[in-house]
Amino acid sequence: MAEQTNQDSTKSLMEEIGITDREIANRCAFLELGEKDIKELLGIDPVAEAYADPVIEDFYKHLLNFEETRVFFQDRQVLERVKRAQKQYFARLTRGNYDKDYIEDRLKIGAVHERIGLPVKAYLGMYNFYLRNVAARLFDEYKNDREKALRAFLSLLKVVFLDMGLAIDTYINRREQLIGKQQEAMRELPTPVLRVRERLLILPVVGVLESYRAHQLTEQLLESIGTTRAKAAIVDITGVPVVDSRVANHLLQTVSAARLMGATVILTGLSSQIAQALVAIGVDLSQVKTTVDLQSGLEEAERLLGYRLVPAGDKARSDQLHP
Amino acid sequence: MNTSILKQGPYLIAILQAGQSDSDLLQLQETLLEQVGRFRSRGVILDVTLLDVMDSFATRTLRGIAQAVSLRGAETVIVGIRPEIAFAMVQLGLDTRLSGVLTALDLEEALAILNRRCREGMCRD
Repeated sequence: MAEQTNQDSTKSLMEEIGITDREIANRCAFLELGEKDIKELLGIDPVAEAYADPVIEDFYKHLLNFEETRVFFQDRQVLERVKRAQKQYFARLTRGNYDKDYIEDRLKIGAVHERIGLPVKAYLGMYNFYLRNVAARLFDEYKNDREKALRAFLSLLKVVFLDMGLAIDTYINRREQLIGKQQEAMRELPTPVLRVRERLLILPVVGVLESYRAHQLTEQLLESIGTTRAKAAIVDITGVPVVDSRVANHLLQTVSAARLMGATVILTGLSSQIAQALVAIGVDLSQVKTTVDLQSGLEEAERLLGYRLVPAGDKARSDQLHP
Repeated sequence: MNTSILKQGPYLIAILQAGQSDSDLLQLQETLLEQVGRFRSRGVILDVTLLDVMDSFATRTLRGIAQAVSLRGAETVIVGIRPEIAFAMVQLGLDTRLSGVLTALDLEEALAILNRRCREGMCRD
């Protein structure tokens, strides 16, 4: 029981990404990675041990040759630490025992790479460099038994592909989490209903209007019409980057529902691109009052409400003329 | 259940009750049309504030009343469609059935609309 709670509090990456024992087994099966491969790899382990240091040196020489990858190893201490970890990883590739710990390690490495911003292309490129380097050394070592070298190399390839798959999954998982957070943030973007004049509302809409927000907008507008006894409402979509048929439909529904309540909705801020796009996809907004910008929308609403805006100076003059 | 119809100057005001049956609605249509003629009314206000639902039959009947009333020379204004009902109607596609009918937020507003339209000579004197 105590162990259970302990596990819960430190959720492993495997659980987070959703990699189960079965999933690992499936991946191994798909790669046809099995006992035979482990035997092959264990067979070359002493050789691998021997070439570990030169491979690491070549590996980092290559890394440091490129500006893109060099930036990650500016610090000597960091470089030494990473080298040690990398050497450990390479050594483990030929030790068999690709258990849960191993998988968790791979995921962790992927997460670290993602966090420091190492691009996937560099990650894959380095694997490629490593594999070519190892292949050359293996075939050199087993000059007289090239079959064995090939078998061992192909087995190594399976393990490496398993690892790459895991690391890339963490990359994707982190990005998906980020996207999820951003979507959440977007959802929380407020869509305020503002009262500009007696019985006139303005709703400035900024950002993508996906269905959740569109629904919220409709609800808030209708509620506000009820509570403020608004006769007109201006929905300004200047800040909406795209209006597709779904969004247009939502807007149409909002306009229609507001009309049922006895209020007129004026849609303002349709950019020329959006106007053309709406025509192109065949959305009919002819039932809706639309104006080019907020100003003309306001003028239209004022006309509707029976306001007439007169500059104060003019009024004073007209008062003088007609006392 | 009989719907009460109030006479207010040149207008008739009908307040629809919750739980009204379809036949009550048809009865209301009958009575209203008769009274428009009897009182020479210029406008009819249908207050639906108390309704919890507006189904397709109710919507169709309201439109029917509006059309028939207009044939008798008066205007109809529907009043008090609540936000959630308005939204539900739109989602069910019932809003288009009322596209030719005037709507207003409340009684006061409906009276203002009718007064204005009569002033502008859109109703008969």
